[in-house]
Amino acid sequence: MRIVHYINQFFGGIGGEDKADYRPEARPGVVGPGMALSQALKGTAEIVGTVICGDSWFNENLEEAKETVLDLIKQYNPDLVVAGPAFNAGRYGMACGAVAEVVTKSLNIPVVSGMYKENPGVEVYRKHAWIVEVGDSAAAMRTAIPAMVEMVKVFAAGKTPEPGTYIARGIRQNYFHAERGSKRAVDMLVKKLTDQPFTTEFPMPEFDRVAPNQPVQDMSKAKIALVTSGGIVPKGNPDRIESSSASKYGKYFMGDLSDLTVEGHETAHGGYDPTYANADADRVLPVDVLRDMEKEGVIGKLHDYWYSTVGNGTAVASAKAYAAAIAQDLLNAQVQAVILTST
Amino acid sequence: MENQRRVKEYAEKFGKEEIVVVLGGAEAEASGLAAETVSNGDPAWAGPLAGVQLALKAFHILEPEIKDQVDPTVYEAQVSLMEMVLDVDAIVNEVGTIRNQYANW
Repeated sequence: MRIVHYINQFFGGIGGEDKADYRPEARPGVVGPGMALSQALKGTAEIVGTVICGDSWFNENLEEAKETVLDLIKQYNPDLVVAGPAFNAGRYGMACGAVAEVVTKSLNIPVVSGMYKENPGVEVYRKHAWIVEVGDSAAAMRTAIPAMVEMVKVFAAGKTPEPGTYIARGIRQNYFHAERGSKRAVDMLVKKLTDQPFTTEFPMPEFDRVAPNQPVQDMSKAKIALVTSGGIVPKGNPDRIESSSASKYGKYFMGDLSDLTVEGHETAHGGYDPTYANADADRVLPVDVLRDMEKEGVIGKLHDYWYSTVGNGTAVASAKAYAAAIAQDLLNAQVQAVILTST
Repeated sequence: MENQRRVKEYAEKFGKEEIVVVLGGAEAEASGLAAETVSNGDPAWAGPLAGVQLALKAFHILEPEIKDQVDPTVYEAQVSLMEMVLDVDAIVNEVGTIRNQYANW
């Protein structure tokens, strides 16, 4: 079996975020994590080529990237493509997913990837790739590689992976069941009513719904706070908030500040081009506009503090914990409403 | 990546017998990954040491083998504060395990 491996600039050994604009390139044989894949697949499959592309370049030039990467992959005439593993790297996951989509559609061969369950690539592209669930950082490489190898071996044996060994793709398959749907549904209902265990045929997706609060009655009397996941911090990032997978949030005194300046403020966020946020942090945390509204009487008062963290790769569980702490603090300060800005 | 490149360069220049890698990671997992990188190769398969087994011995600064060789006043000034707040046993155990597994010569 011939395999082509798709990886980003980091795993290609080209560089980190500073090289994320690296254009697509193909190299014969293995590069980076492909070495581990290739060792584990010895005798089953061969990685004949590796395609490398910078994460920013791929996502900012999506159509061109898909076309170019597809051409580079096609020249090796593969039977299967492995993309990643991308762990919880959002843009890398999106790129792996887009590669899966274009390869599946154009070449009609399977694409195996590995992602953390919260990677946005899962949500958007799971239909197109066979995604193995892996840990959230490259430290999980040692478990990710064997899991992806197992899936490649299934395809090499001419089979299709068993449900449960990959992240559900949301694809329905028709088959004949011995019993009618209505009978099966009533059987399940009876079991449910008598507290017996049963297995649903259609697991409901879990939506994280937040019930909206009552609207603010009179904005001209309300105290409004600014909270951001866009990483706006005082210059120098005094709390050392991480540029990705933030382990904390910061609370900063606003005082009489009416405008965020290049001298005083910057972003700690590592997931977007910081040029425009650093040049004028009001673009992410609109203190200037809120001050105008305060003067015009549109809002009562802007809260004396702003709260900031970095949303880039930060686990939902951590974000929930920060939100709970921030919300309590805001309640204590009698803030009536919050404007939450992202990036 | 730059660190991996340097370690690789020194290992080639001086030989594994002449090199000990001293680590300063603040927790066990990170220290273990660093020890693994210089002995069994980069576990993330991303840097210059991907697939390169240098078998270098790595010790954490908190391990007695290293601690005993440092001037006590310097150690007191530079390391002892961190020694109080870190999980020393976990770090020493993890780094030692990796060393015995991949640099046992």
